Amino acid sequence: MSEENQVEEQPKPLILQKLEANHADALLAHDETRGTVVVVVRKEQAYAVLEYLKTDPELAYTFLVDVTAVDNSQMESELMQFDYARFMVVYQLYSYQGQCRARVKVPVHESDLNIPSVTSLWQGANWLERETYDMFGINFEGHPDLRRILMPDDFEGHPLRKDYPLRGRGERERFNFDKQNV
Amino acid sequence: MGLDFVGQGAGETDGNIITTTIDKVVNWGRKNSLWPMPFGTACCAIEMMATLASKFDLSRFGSEAIRFSPRQSDLLIVSGRISIKMMPVLKRIYDQMPDPKWVISMGACASCGGVFDTYTLIQGVDQFIPVDVYIPGCPPRPEDLIDGVLQVQQKIASGASPKGVEAVYE
Ligand code: SF4
Repeated sequence: MSEENQVEEQPKPLILQKLEANHADALLAHDETRGTVVVVVRKEQAYAVLEYLKTDPELAYTFLVDVTAVDNSQMESELMQFDYARFMVVYQLYSYQGQCRARVKVPVHESDLNIPSVTSLWQGANWLERETYDMFGINFEGHPDLRRILMPDDFEGHPLRKDYPLRGRGERERFNFDKQNV
Repeated sequence: MGLDFVGQGAGETDGNIITTTIDKVVNWGRKNSLWPMPFGTACCAIEMMATLASKFDLSRFGSEAIRFSPRQSDLLIVSGRISIKMMPVLKRIYDQMPDPKWVISMGACASCGGVFDTYTLIQGVDQFIPVDVYIPGCPPRPEDLIDGVLQVQQKIASGASPKGVEAVYE
């Protein structure tokens, strides 16, 4: 009984209140982990939600900490939850004004790896999205310069995908050392 | 060092003339003034820095003149993981060093890939450049690196050619 009361006493985080009021149709799920609000957002509205989180004067998540992705292809429980979307693109945000963090997750199906780039909102997203493209093959539409950033330019495959073998597919042995532009 | 004192009898030259061979004198100079080129790419480089700093003080062995230009150095210390994208850079730096040159492969990663048996890491730099001394450890302690430098010194003093030269004449 007392536990229930405690749960009720917790005020809903501002970000959830505002998102439910303004972007309720975009929200697929939400959660809270260690003080960070996690929202799962439909891909179609992802850009609008991120823009809203950045520009809303009360929320002001002006700092994009990280962009990355998760390959859930071997996580049956996660897959089932979001219509068997293989990838989850993750945006970590921080608000200097509210001194709080938020995590926005966007399910991406393998059949359609396109997702709008947020470089027009945060310049810093440039290299982060390039890394996510390099490692997972997510295609950020509207990115000014979507090239590999860590792996060599002629590398094939996306090594952080779960079906990529740890020892590679012979890149180590096949690598052309003379061709590389040093 | 192969020094011989001549003039055993009584006289002005007694004990004041030394004979040796030019190779021995040159090697003696080389061995005591190795100029390392640090190629630190990972955690091993931290231990290398400690070795060079005052507590372990590599200058006690004549190797404190760290050169960040390969053209001015004769000892390449590879300390850290080398990825396939980094290997051409390392090879180029090795090629730019003037002969005679020696190579130390410091730590498990540089010597054999260490625990990183992955798609992107070179499993031992000796596949591409000749290595004279391997230092085991993850990371090797500064004492181990100093021991490695002393091994190189011993090798020079013995008159042995660097691995790189041997490879050319093989
Ligand atoms: S051998 Fe160990 S300490 Fe050295 S680079 Fe590899 S992981 Fe780091």
